[in-house]
Amino acid sequence: MTAPRPTAEREAVVVTGMSVTTAFGRGTGALREALAAGKPAFGEVTRFDVSRRRAKRAAHLPGAPVLVDELTDLLAQAAGQAGLDAEAVGGTPLLFARHSDPSWPRQPQERQADCHAAATGSTLAARAGLRDARRTYTNACVAASTALADAAALIASGREERVAVAAGYLVDEDVFSLFDAGRALADDGALRSFSAGRRGLLLGDGMGAVILESASAAERRGALPLAGLLGWGRAGDAYHVCQPHPEGLGMARALSAAMARADRAPEEVDYLNAHGTGTSYNDSAEAAAIHRAFGAYAPELPVSSTKSLTGHTLEASGIVEFAVSVLVLQEGLLPVNAGYTGQDPACRLNLVTDAPRSLKARTVVSLNAAFGGANTALVLGAV
Amino acid sequence: MTTTQVWERAFWPATESEAAQGPRKLPGFVVSSFSPLVAEVADRCLRAQYGEPSAAADDGARTAVVLVSRLGDFATDRAVAKAVDAGRPVQPLLFFQSVPNSVIGHVTTQWQLLGPVVCFSPEGDPEEAALEYADLLFADGEADRALLVVVELATEEGAHGSASALLVAPEDRPTGGEQP
Repeated sequence: MTAPRPTAEREAVVVTGMSVTTAFGRGTGALREALAAGKPAFGEVTRFDVSRRRAKRAAHLPGAPVLVDELTDLLAQAAGQAGLDAEAVGGTPLLFARHSDPSWPRQPQERQADCHAAATGSTLAARAGLRDARRTYTNACVAASTALADAAALIASGREERVAVAAGYLVDEDVFSLFDAGRALADDGALRSFSAGRRGLLLGDGMGAVILESASAAERRGALPLAGLLGWGRAGDAYHVCQPHPEGLGMARALSAAMARADRAPEEVDYLNAHGTGTSYNDSAEAAAIHRAFGAYAPELPVSSTKSLTGHTLEASGIVEFAVSVLVLQEGLLPVNAGYTGQDPACRLNLVTDAPRSLKARTVVSLNAAFGGANTALVLGAV
Repeated sequence: MTTTQVWERAFWPATESEAAQGPRKLPGFVVSSFSPLVAEVADRCLRAQYGEPSAAADDGARTAVVLVSRLGDFATDRAVAKAVDAGRPVQPLLFFQSVPNSVIGHVTTQWQLLGPVVCFSPEGDPEEAALEYADLLFADGEADRALLVVVELATEEGAHGSASALLVAPEDRPTGGEQP
């Protein structure tokens, strides 16, 4: 497999606006403060009844937030931060990612044809004043990161000057029950990424909006970039329906492709935000992938999974963890890998445990993986 | 911009009797015909081009798989919702097929396709959206071929779902892993 061309030959891609909501609260500031504090957001589920489930905890906001309302606000905040007027927003396409809505399968059969992800994307684009939403990504835990990579590809190739990306998942009873039945949820109430004794994942609310644009367009407008999106990679495992390749081959290929495109050597990466679901399969495969892609530098590379703080936000993971990566570049603080109780020999990594670690990072990587062997990696750089 | 060339195309159902029988069962997948439809058309399309999976090995390293479905697997979602609302346990197998990626894992494992794995719900014509997306992947240099699968379950009682698969490549450059 040949590496993609470095973006140096194409339009450089920058982030000019970003807003994110997790169980820690609404807006990027809440996540910034939570990453500095390093305490997980998990609590007893109150949004629906979990008395019949093995697992009882998740990381969710109080009450019952409405996804499209929340995302409309986040898109407005991101566009505002980017300094876009209504005309510029109106010329900007949206790439959106979401899980199916729990209301859809409860509609009468004759209304089924109106219930789909693309409709949410188009509704959201209309409400936010964006041009259109031609694709709403549904590829599970890499949906948002794929949308970000594709937005970057559109900009780098000169097809679009600017793209808005949004993604969201709100903890719901159907998914909770499904994951509980699949024994994917941690019944000890903590998400312990890469740790000995980890017992699975916990779900979390996550929503985010990001404005990506070409560096030259941002400069012409006088917009101040928050970070650069230097490289992206997408690769498949071709191994299993729902398990990752045990040696992390697809994840490693996505990492190598993203770093080649970013023109960054392994030792130039200061931090890796891992997928780190806290499941046995994922974390050992991911550790193997990091060793394969980073080689001799792997034992030194600081790594953490912020799912241990926010919970697994499924289709929104890529955008929540992209926001975390931007904050790492801005704040000079590597977030903690919470819930860690000791080393698993299959996950030998330089994990940020106990407390956030100060480091003026210049280059960070965000890695995601999903069922079906889908993998993505994004390389972000300080500006 | 590249021009995408369609190398192979397959459909389900191909005949009326096929439609009446439904797609072949896919081991490990239950309740819904979504994943069996995807597996069937993908296999037909790839066999038409390569014959056997071993013949696809060279191309597979840079072949993307893109699943396009406006409605997605609502039959699986309905089965989950029904169990939850009735207070019954959810079948564990439904967890593994709850996202559209899963069946792609089946196809890519069988055919050793190592490129990007992407699923989306399109606004507008699904096949046009799939071709447009393949063109983006080719321009981005991450794949030289793409298997595009378009699938929809029937929304009307007594009707059957349908699926098509296209194997596509960029027209303006040779395939086989050369630097774009």
